[in-house]
Amino acid sequence: MTAVIEARGLTKSYHTTPALEDVSFTVGPGRIVGLIGPNGAGKTTALKAILGLTRFRGDLRVLGLDPRASRDELMREVSFIADVAVLPRWLRVSQALELVAGVHTRFDRARAMEFLRRTDIRLRSRVRELSKGMVTQLHLALILAIDARLLVLDEPTLGLDLLYRRQFYDTLLNDYFDKERTILVTTHQVEEVENLFTDVIFINRGRVVLDSSVEGLADRFVQVTVTPDNANRARELQPFYEHEVFGRRVMVFEGRAAADLAPLGEVRTPSIADLFVAKMEINKREAAA
Amino acid sequence: MSSPTAVSSSERLPPAAQAWLANHPSVRMFWTLLRREFWEYRSLWMAPLTVSALLLLSALFTHGALQIDASEPSEWLDPQIKSSIFALAQWGLTMPLYLVMLVVLSMYLVDCMYAERKDRSILFWKSLPIGDGATVASKLCVACVVVPLGTFALALVTDVLFTLVWDLRALIGHAPALLVWDTVAFLKTQALMFLGLVISILWYAPFFGCLLLASAWARRNVYLWVTLVPLLAIIVERIAFGTHHISSLIAYRSGGIWRSLHLESALAGSLTSVAQAAIVSVPALYDRVRIGPALTNIDLWLGLAFTAACAYAAVWLRRYRDDSY
Repeated sequence: MTAVIEARGLTKSYHTTPALEDVSFTVGPGRIVGLIGPNGAGKTTALKAILGLTRFRGDLRVLGLDPRASRDELMREVSFIADVAVLPRWLRVSQALELVAGVHTRFDRARAMEFLRRTDIRLRSRVRELSKGMVTQLHLALILAIDARLLVLDEPTLGLDLLYRRQFYDTLLNDYFDKERTILVTTHQVEEVENLFTDVIFINRGRVVLDSSVEGLADRFVQVTVTPDNANRARELQPFYEHEVFGRRVMVFEGRAAADLAPLGEVRTPSIADLFVAKMEINKREAAA
Repeated sequence: MSSPTAVSSSERLPPAAQAWLANHPSVRMFWTLLRREFWEYRSLWMAPLTVSALLLLSALFTHGALQIDASEPSEWLDPQIKSSIFALAQWGLTMPLYLVMLVVLSMYLVDCMYAERKDRSILFWKSLPIGDGATVASKLCVACVVVPLGTFALALVTDVLFTLVWDLRALIGHAPALLVWDTVAFLKTQALMFLGLVISILWYAPFFGCLLLASAWARRNVYLWVTLVPLLAIIVERIAFGTHHISSLIAYRSGGIWRSLHLESALAGSLTSVAQAAIVSVPALYDRVRIGPALTNIDLWLGLAFTAACAYAAVWLRRYRDDSY
């Protein structure tokens, strides 16, 4: 199967500040990929590169096309939501449907109406009259009714309350996602979307820190809550991250068999959030050193 | 919970046109883009309509503003004077609409490429398969074709309705019987006004291009760019070099074409003829107007090339400038 996104050596700096440094990754079809990193890590720059919104160095193919050269063509098969509140404020809901139907051959108006029927949004309303949550619902209804091969969401739930966030991801998973489609989501709120992803890419300071499928994480990483008397023995096995929770040492190991670590304490697969914190902390220390 | 029903305004089109549009996605896209501009900038159609309504109201409610000297009725009955008055009334009714159109279009062009960056909706637009070229082309098309044609049609209807209302009032003795329908004068006047409109749009296109480019270029306050920059350029040129090429260029681009039309001689002739009550028909004066020299004027075509360059630069800026978030 051909990759949906194939990035090799993406490099970009704003003036003298590097935003991406030699970033490479591959996204296959039918995956839901979390591009995760702290603010300013380079997530948005990577997305802008994928969407043909910025110039960069390196080799990038999205659905086999170079987004720099074939942006218009690419946008027929790629949808994205860049930020929650970007719908023009003067637009009426009915006009929004008319508009997307008029410019997009892959837009299914009936499907968008179906999404809207589940909300309190009225067709006569203008975007400026809708609440922030409703604007997101409208945007989502428009975007999810487009039969795109790649959907890119940049911090899609930023500033929304929990109810809308939950609804957003439920709709995404239940009504949209299928094995033909690929979804790329950036977020810095990892806990919320743990169970959504099939793959995660951690990015920090413009570099890929971790790139793995979620199943792959269990084979690669083990988190052990070490009993105090085992602490020194555990450290000999070189955990890459160690911190203290309620007086107990929690260590994260990479590339060690869970069976070897079991005698040291309570063993489990770290959550994506735990791994994220661990990787970011290590990255910070390395950068400082 | 509302139960929305989709009533699209393109459903107002005849079914055959809808089917044709469905089979021509690029035409359908451009059609949608044009409609989008009128959704966003409602003043494009509301301002001319308001002026037209006001003109028609004035036909209904003018009272005794025009007093006819009854002692010289014979001159007012002269058919040539009548056709002159009729023709001049059309000019008088149409010009306010054209002026409003110019103001509205200038304001539109100043904002049309800037608004989407100001309200950050540009990324929504860029998430749709609409090319930057199509976007800029739709805006230029609205400014140079759709709104001028629409204003011309509106002015024509206003002229007819005004005359109708006035004549009905004259019939029942409420207004002086000044406006007498004259088909030849009507057609000649409308044709000349249409040609004048076409030439104005072609001649003033470089101004449109500048406004569009400023709108695509400015990071904030486009009005400051389009007023202060030329003003500063004129002042700096005068101080530094003691010349005034920029100001004479602007002055030339503002009015230069009209000299080659010989339009003012026609208009001046018609005005003096009315003032002196000389028996000169205004429609007959139109024969003095020459359209040919205006269209073969090299400066007109240079201006259009300049406009195209501005549009191209606007496309480039929208495509490649990276300040979207």
